[in-house]
Amino acid sequence: MSPQRNTFADRAFRFLLRFFPSEFRGDYGKEMEQVFEAQRREARKDKGGAMRLWWETIAGIFTTAPREHVEMFRQDGGYALRMMRKNIGFTVLVISILALGIGANTAIFSVINGVLLRPLPYADGNRLMTLDQTAPHSGQGSQRFSVHEIDDIRAQSQTLESLVEYHNMQFDLLGVGDPQRINTGVVSANFFDVLGVRPLYGRTFVPDDDKPGAPAVLVFSYDYWMKVYGGDPKILGTTYRMNDKMHTLVGILPAMPQYPDENDVYMSVSACPFRSNPNFIANRQARMMTVFGRLRKGRTIEQAQSELTTLESRFQKSYPDDYPAELDWTLEAGLLRTQLTERARPTFMILLGTAGLVLLIVCANVANLVLSRQLRRGREMAVRSALGASRARLLRQVVTESTMLALAGGVIGLLIAWGAMQILVDFAARFTPRAPEISLDSNVLLYCLGISVFAGILFGSIPQLGSNSNLATPLKEGAAQGAAGSRERLRSALVVAQVALSFALLAGAGLMLRSFYKLVTLDPGYKSENVVSMLIQLNFTRYGGGQIGKVRSFHDRLLERVKENPGVISAALALTFPLNDRAPRAIGFQIEGKPNTTGQPQPTFDLQSVTPEYFETVGIPLVRGRFFSYGDGPDKPDAAIVNLAMARHYWGNDDPIGRRLTTDGGKSWETIVGIVGDEKQVALDKPSADELYVTQAQNPTGETSLLVRTQQNPMTLTKKLADDVHAIDPEQPVARIRTLEQLRQKSLASPRLTSYLLGLFALLALVITAAGIAGVMGLFVNQRIKEIGIRMALGASGGSVMWLILKKGLLRVGIGLVIGLLGALAGTRLLATLLFGVEPYDPITLASVTVLLLAVAALACYGPSRRATTVDPLTALRSE
Amino acid sequence: MTVIEKRSVEPLLPMTPAMFHVLLALADGDKHGYAIMKEVTRLTDGAVSLSAGTLYGILRRLESEGLVVENDERPAPELDDERRRYYHLTEFGRRVARAEAERLEDMVTLARSKKLMVKVRPV
Repeated sequence: MSPQRNTFADRAFRFLLRFFPSEFRGDYGKEMEQVFEAQRREARKDKGGAMRLWWETIAGIFTTAPREHVEMFRQDGGYALRMMRKNIGFTVLVISILALGIGANTAIFSVINGVLLRPLPYADGNRLMTLDQTAPHSGQGSQRFSVHEIDDIRAQSQTLESLVEYHNMQFDLLGVGDPQRINTGVVSANFFDVLGVRPLYGRTFVPDDDKPGAPAVLVFSYDYWMKVYGGDPKILGTTYRMNDKMHTLVGILPAMPQYPDENDVYMSVSACPFRSNPNFIANRQARMMTVFGRLRKGRTIEQAQSELTTLESRFQKSYPDDYPAELDWTLEAGLLRTQLTERARPTFMILLGTAGLVLLIVCANVANLVLSRQLRRGREMAVRSALGASRARLLRQVVTESTMLALAGGVIGLLIAWGAMQILVDFAARFTPRAPEISLDSNVLLYCLGISVFAGILFGSIPQLGSNSNLATPLKEGAAQGAAGSRERLRSALVVAQVALSFALLAGAGLMLRSFYKLVTLDPGYKSENVVSMLIQLNFTRYGGGQIGKVRSFHDRLLERVKENPGVISAALALTFPLNDRAPRAIGFQIEGKPNTTGQPQPTFDLQSVTPEYFETVGIPLVRGRFFSYGDGPDKPDAAIVNLAMARHYWGNDDPIGRRLTTDGGKSWETIVGIVGDEKQVALDKPSADELYVTQAQNPTGETSLLVRTQQNPMTLTKKLADDVHAIDPEQPVARIRTLEQLRQKSLASPRLTSYLLGLFALLALVITAAGIAGVMGLFVNQRIKEIGIRMALGASGGSVMWLILKKGLLRVGIGLVIGLLGALAGTRLLATLLFGVEPYDPITLASVTVLLLAVAALACYGPSRRATTVDPLTALRSE
Repeated sequence: MTVIEKRSVEPLLPMTPAMFHVLLALADGDKHGYAIMKEVTRLTDGAVSLSAGTLYGILRRLESEGLVVENDERPAPELDDERRRYYHLTEFGRRVARAEAERLEDMVTLARSKKLMVKVRPV
């Protein structure tokens, strides 16, 4: 017997042999060692022979080993295909279950990939930064920037380059059919250069376009160009009238996600009548613009932040009047990428986690199916083992088969994901402007492939944990022998795992559905049925500049015409209205006799300016005092109405009616004449803010929304209402025509879809788990036919046999429920940010899920347990 | 007529040169792996040198196709290494090797007809 040598060379060669499949090593490994040993002896005779030998040996192994693996896979694959064809029912069942789990995961990952993982579709997107100037104690959000501030940052920053300014306005575009109210992005000339956007036709802006007095030019967005002009490039050079000025179209953008807003057209800063106004430019406090820029190469975001903090301090020291110290000014930098995705991240990650749990349930279920089938294949495995197949070889064969099933499931899952793409894009669009970037790209295909292989390996190898180490056992004991104890325990463990995971999923879905139900049934504080809104922004060159009389006259004449329409119950004009997607205007104030404390944040309210019939039109109730009347005219004392939230906040149990407050340091005072109910102004799941109403007559605004309550469907009147507007001013466009109910439904769309998706996943999990329980209990009954026969022959009743089977099943379910409950208690707090009116540990939801699972499990166990009672003892005793 | 004789050689042609050399090495008697390696080197004057990985990949393929089998007859223990396996060219393997040689001969004949080869090289 030749002893195994253990020199370094021998060990190294044995290590290289590990690259071959284990079966190959088993057949030829020893001989190859012997051959290599002989070759080494021979090679020592030549100078450099050993080196040559090692080189040739390594090259030979790395050429041959992969081929051996491929050949083995080819053989296993061919065998697997034959087995799949032979058991077509099992194959179809497994592939279908896998397709659902893999498809769900692939679909959700495609969203995550498009929104969170892909680089921004802008040049050097990871270095694009957003700047934000805030004064937290002012009660308002972002302060934005003035022209002076932008120029100063541009001149003084060492960490940021290519600063860009942006603001959005709605202007009237004339010269194209009816006057159009269009979203206009007003940008500095380098805006498109910084984003790395090249025009589809023509050009974007150049530095000369920013110069005061430069010819006014426009760039169209791709969507607007396609929608209005059908993609006709010949419109380049066309002139349009905007803001009483002629603008020339110089360029058309390519299809691209727009940031920060979806605009119809873009204009340069010199063409915007607000931005180009010399008084506006000179006023450091005229803050209107959003700013972003690019981090210089080699600089970090931390360095940029440190520098901006220094700059803000410098501004405050140099211009103390423009930065009141008590407002606590800050200047912050953030990655553009984060800003575009932070709202979407929590929901999408929860959905991915949920889909992952579904996949695990699918794998556990399929593993149980494979385990059950293993009993029938036990003989086959034993025969192959007796013919020389190693355990590793058989395992490889089984895992190849399971992986091929999973890959087939993955292909169908990919089709499911493709089919669901549009729904997911629409869903994601509510959270992020990056939704159009969602697609089935190479990352998603790789992910689908990866989880398919993972699932195949998982459910293929789990059943092997319970298999007998002596593969020949089935030949000795016979096929009808009950499953080995370890297999039985493994099956039970898989059922427990499925139940536990299903519980967690059902708990999460249940919480979301309850939360959604609370939102749907919530009283929003107003009546949204049969009310239509349309935005009317009066042209400021014809109505602005202090021409308050013209504004009032327009409003009065419009309301008079609108109310004459048959079917109109009431009509009003308002600065804003519930669930309008316009940010509230927060105004600082002081209550008479209660001066504000120095150094403390100034109290603020959300301002609302309305005509008298507003509350009746929108359906907001009066709590105390009175509504506005037409008697509250411009020559009467300024009247105000507060909502209940503001009344309680600042007056507690005292009556605010008759009390006064000022918003301009005491120059003028509003007298509170009434209290109205709270309504959901910003969002259904946000508490009502402090609101103060003033009259349009005393505080007219050029921008209002016309609100009309009708007897019938208000959308049938929109043409007539637009005609009423044009009868007064033919060049006045109307925009954003929507009903209040549409806006309410829009605000429910995201929680609806999120809860439906979670519910769908949970339902899928429940069905798969129930099928798994039924399958396992059915097998349990089959394997105990003899035992059941004996029991019944000895006098056991059908009921006691049924209870025996049920008990077995429900015990497993019970253990799964306990584990699932613990998991749910740990996991549902991740949902806390998405829930409304429901706690993550809501006992009603958890109890309902427990009862549901028990009921479904009992139903799944019923069939097999009922079948057990029909066993004929004589037949059972004779069976093998 | 045996089952093996009925089996067609066509699916196995053409062979790789390395595979053919292994069959040639076994044509005049059973050999173990290292001896096959040495014989191939000798027959080709060192032009073809099989590494261990390459040789046993070939042997596995030849065994699975039935061209080669392991011979249980072994020399005396003092002349043997128990790790060695001795390979025997089967009748089918001999037919395949013959078919490959005839195929190569046909190609040489063709090359001569095209005046690519004029001299018969000594063996």
